[in-house]
Amino acid sequence: MLTRRSFLQSGTAAALASRLFAAKEGSTTPSPELENLGAGALREAQKLKASYADIRIIRYRQQFLTVRLNPERGTGKTLEVPMVSDGGSFGFGVRVIADGAWGFAASPLVTPGEIARMTGEAVAVAQANAALRSRPLELAPVPVYRVRWQTPHERDPFEVPLEEKLNLIRSAAAEVKKEKGVFAAGCTLSFRSEDKYFASTAGSSIQQLNLQTYAQVNATAVDVKRALSKTRRYQPQQVTAGYEYVPLMNLVENAQRIREEVIEHLNAPAITPGKKDLVLLPSHLWLTIHESIGHSTELDRALGYEANFAGTSFLTTDKMGKQRVGSDIMNVWGDRTTERGLATTGYDDDGVKATKFPIIEKGIFKHYQTIRDQAHLIGEQESRGCCYADNWASVPFQRMPNVWLEPGKADTNLEDLISGVDDGILIDGDGSFSIDQQRYNFQFGGDAFWAIKGGKKQGMVSRVAYQSRTTDFWQACDLIAGPSYWQQWGAPNDGKGEPEQINSVSHGCSPARFRQVNVIQTD
Amino acid sequence: MFTKEQARKLTEKALSFSTFPECEISVNSSENAFIRFALNDVTTSGFTVEQSMSISSIRDGQTGSTRVDEFDDDALREAVKRTERLALISPPNPERVPPLDPQKYPELENHADSTAAARNQAMIPHIRAIVEAARTNGLVAAGFFERAAETAAVANKQGNFGYGRVTDANLSATIRNSAGSSSGWASHPAVNIESIDGAAVAKIAVDKCLRWKEPQRLDPGKYTVVLEPTATGDLLQLLGFSMQARAAEEGRSFLSKKGGGTLVGEKLFPEFVTLRSDPFNRLYSVMPWGGGGGGFGRGGGGGSGLPAERMTWIENGVVKNLFYDRYWAAKAGQRPTPFPNHLVLEGGGKSLPDLIATVDRGLLVTRFWYIRVVNPQTAQATGLTRDGVFLIEQGKITAPVVNFRFNESPVEMLKNTVAIGQPVRVRGGEGQGMLAPPLVVKEFSFTSVSDAV
Repeated sequence: MLTRRSFLQSGTAAALASRLFAAKEGSTTPSPELENLGAGALREAQKLKASYADIRIIRYRQQFLTVRLNPERGTGKTLEVPMVSDGGSFGFGVRVIADGAWGFAASPLVTPGEIARMTGEAVAVAQANAALRSRPLELAPVPVYRVRWQTPHERDPFEVPLEEKLNLIRSAAAEVKKEKGVFAAGCTLSFRSEDKYFASTAGSSIQQLNLQTYAQVNATAVDVKRALSKTRRYQPQQVTAGYEYVPLMNLVENAQRIREEVIEHLNAPAITPGKKDLVLLPSHLWLTIHESIGHSTELDRALGYEANFAGTSFLTTDKMGKQRVGSDIMNVWGDRTTERGLATTGYDDDGVKATKFPIIEKGIFKHYQTIRDQAHLIGEQESRGCCYADNWASVPFQRMPNVWLEPGKADTNLEDLISGVDDGILIDGDGSFSIDQQRYNFQFGGDAFWAIKGGKKQGMVSRVAYQSRTTDFWQACDLIAGPSYWQQWGAPNDGKGEPEQINSVSHGCSPARFRQVNVIQTD
Repeated sequence: MFTKEQARKLTEKALSFSTFPECEISVNSSENAFIRFALNDVTTSGFTVEQSMSISSIRDGQTGSTRVDEFDDDALREAVKRTERLALISPPNPERVPPLDPQKYPELENHADSTAAARNQAMIPHIRAIVEAARTNGLVAAGFFERAAETAAVANKQGNFGYGRVTDANLSATIRNSAGSSSGWASHPAVNIESIDGAAVAKIAVDKCLRWKEPQRLDPGKYTVVLEPTATGDLLQLLGFSMQARAAEEGRSFLSKKGGGTLVGEKLFPEFVTLRSDPFNRLYSVMPWGGGGGGFGRGGGGGSGLPAERMTWIENGVVKNLFYDRYWAAKAGQRPTPFPNHLVLEGGGKSLPDLIATVDRGLLVTRFWYIRVVNPQTAQATGLTRDGVFLIEQGKITAPVVNFRFNESPVEMLKNTVAIGQPVRVRGGEGQGMLAPPLVVKEFSFTSVSDAV
């Protein structure tokens, strides 16, 4: 419990955070002050006879700018509604193993006294739970690192003047609203930074800076006569990168496209349900990969550790190296080193260096995502570096790395995929998504749909969703476009665990074709 | 965790740094304790302390917002300054609402000291009971026991100040057989942790797991369903997001009338359907202000800051009220309302067995999972059944059934409701839950079979 005294006298924390995480030009090791603070937790844990301890001291910053253009009630005049926020959070979390059980405690007061106190709390939690433990914990070995890492970037997004950002989102939203039939338009830019220090009794001391950049342009069209409305989004690839990425998003140019497409979607005919061939663009397919492959290959899920929340997996451990998941052209990697991937980092929250490993090879399930206390459960000697907590107050556990699908042959174009379809649908962007508790039965919507007839892309259609079973779907994948089409969209808020946590993760792929998938007509 | 006096001093301190005519603060501090278990073993467990202050500064409609979790003078001074800098760069917000005058917040605190003080020692016996029940039956238990205690305050430069404390706890358990071919689930959310009984939770979950043996595969289609209270709550809790007056008037929701206007005042549902918000119900522990926001563009985390109140959304089948945030209310000449949460679907006198006995052929559903909106206009959603589907024939449960995916709207679900039981507090896998009764619903749309257990 925060004592009254500690609550009122928490010291000059704002100045502390800035000082701790100030980037020292050319420095390759963590700040000595961070190391001192971290060492305090490790010392206290060892004093209390913990067999392992680690601490994360983290400062988050989140800047969010949005503008919405919508008609004023009664007059119809276009109102420009802005929102600008820039805030953050600073605190630490300590994990220990004591008496064979995990314990965790966290606090926003980053002081030596509080760190020692909460380390004691974590040990107390572990010791109390030891009575319930039945299985010994075993941590896979990990090399020792003393290092600094940061997301490669050229322009710190938090240094860019707000006026520049506001001008950009105002012009993108205005561009959408130029089309008279557009009811409302919006544009958002957001940036997230995570300054993280990690130290463990394994000997590591690691300081990292992770930067994420997001944007979106959207349009809404309404037909009051029919009480019908549709939306259309332009979602640029979400990235770990600095502000240098923002011009590459081409927000204003894409605003021009979506203002036409939202009207077309509003008036598009409904799909006729039935089995159809699907051509899925990377802006859409990323989510299918995420749900059906990303989640089903999480080891904790396969073993039953997530059974009470998101469920288990049809890929049980006996299927490693054997189970056919997809066709021969399906090759999928787990990878925390991908350039600009949302889950890309230097080291995970166990202190394991970021790595890359095959999940699916020629359609066969190969490897799970693992962390240090899981590897031995499937006879492996090393963690695959998938440990992450979304906050200093959250318990680190196994999270998805970037999970990406290899592109097809270099000479395979999107046109090749489309021209081979007699009756099908092309899907862009993500919409509704749902998958069962073992990752079999899924259903996905999208953001926009076009009919394909006789090998040619036609006009838009509406009310589309497709439903399939994971292995049927991926075995129906018969062509993937080449590397020049490979793009990386992702999820900034993937949910898992209890208490629930979020995670940011990318799923690169090229457009791909799937034969004879069940398409339903939604409302 | 702060007392009312500490909160007052803290918010006054933050406001003292404001140079703008308007400044709004909401601040909270919380402590959480939890134990997670799986494979008949404890997995992760923790005790966390968090605090956060949201600040918005407004001048001539220009608004800037921030969030901090350091509360020393320097941090607060810098945070307020930051919001003023952000405001000066931001265009004015034409949908701004005037700051609130001092409000009279209701006395509805429902705080359980036992929950606020509970640590591992309070939770372990219940988890042990579940694990032992699983082991005795040759089964595997997973679950989660958590408790939260939060204090919060809202304040502004016009002298408004409110303070509240809440506590809540939830124990949920999933029991599976070691072959992974059967699964049962139960949960118990409660304000007072002392009312939670792990053995009782285990009994329900074990029973479902044992009974759901060799389920038969039925064809997708429309079925009469008996929804257990958790299943009702899983789907119905989404309806609050579809009750916005603004979306209805703009032609963007199920409450929009073709050609313009809304369906408020129309009888869309059977006469026995009454849906309310009731923050005063002692099964909930809530802050004394409603959620809902002061209009888009308003920063801060205190919602609208208006006092919590009861609202009736649907009364005897008639759409009685829509959700008006302060901005839209002012434009429409209506009273602002709280956001549709802390929902209660009023019940009838029948028990779950009574309802089952009325069904000639149907399916009993324990709960739903992974519900996502397919069409926000009609509130059509998709999701799965989970942890126990059973065939009902001539009023009796006869056989376990393989899980289904549904595509159904909570609006259609209510329209097709033919009988309602007594509401209880429920909290499923996602969302905050509500007070929901068991329902008998005809023509519930199951669109495909799921092999998931």
